[in-house]
Amino acid sequence: MEVNTEIKSTRNMPNHLETTTLEGRNKVLGFWLFLAAETVLFACLFGTYLALRHQSMGGPESSELYDLSLIAVSTAILLTSSLTSVLAMAKMNQYKLKAMLTWLGITVLLGLSFLVLEIYEFVHYVHLGHTFMNSAFGSSFYALVGTHGAHVTFGIVWITTLMFQAAKQGITRETAPKLFVSSLYWHFIDVVWIFIFTLVYLLGKVG
Amino acid sequence: MVQQQNQSSRGRAVSDKANREMKYVISFIFMILLTAAAFYLVSTGAVAEHLILPLILILATIQVFLQLFTFMHLDQKGTAFYTIFIIAGIFFAAVCVVGIVLM
Repeated sequence: MEVNTEIKSTRNMPNHLETTTLEGRNKVLGFWLFLAAETVLFACLFGTYLALRHQSMGGPESSELYDLSLIAVSTAILLTSSLTSVLAMAKMNQYKLKAMLTWLGITVLLGLSFLVLEIYEFVHYVHLGHTFMNSAFGSSFYALVGTHGAHVTFGIVWITTLMFQAAKQGITRETAPKLFVSSLYWHFIDVVWIFIFTLVYLLGKVG
Repeated sequence: MVQQQNQSSRGRAVSDKANREMKYVISFIFMILLTAAAFYLVSTGAVAEHLILPLILILATIQVFLQLFTFMHLDQKGTAFYTIFIIAGIFFAAVCVVGIVLM
């Protein structure tokens, strides 16, 4: 009977390695509270952008600026990185360290390429006269999309450091909650991006 | 008896894992399709302009629920508090957006 419970606690509960300790459970619970607060933060930035997006003060307007094919590429990249991140968590719960690190590595690389595209986009806009200081449209645009980009940057740094720790210490009750929480953060970044491409870029094209 | 149980539970666990990963991939394909639909609606002008915003908002909302309930594991047991937190967050977020836009 004891053997049975042992197997249950490690092998038969695929997605619960992160919540096997009280500390792990508290981490995940606290992180969801943090995500709820982040939702409100981004909601305020979205509201500001939506209220000010027509105040371009003679500068370029949203429908002239946005390039939907570029946005489609970055959306695809970020969506795929969300999938690779969840696959990494699936591998974590099977105690497959190498496979998990591979998926996390792909996630980080996709995040980096998303960031490169965003920097290219911002530089391009500045050349066209769409800057942070130029208009209320510019300020609210860069505040919203820039805050998201800052989250992506932080996520890349966070996941990379956790990869080093996992490579050193392996998948344990200590490292699993951290990895799980960073994966939640990455999905949240993707959720915010879904609304950015809908409400900023697609809506900006419609007018 | 115990061994038999172990073997069957192990077999179930393996197929569970395969199912789970399959579920992620299916969910991902749906997200890509929803995104493509939103881009299609805007770039071709297939529907009237005043219908576009509600339509793409619905598509985005479905995607977010897919993320929350598959990738972020809210479909599993013992996640009631997480759901309460995030729903409270979404509620306050909606109040903020509507309040700021209408101000």
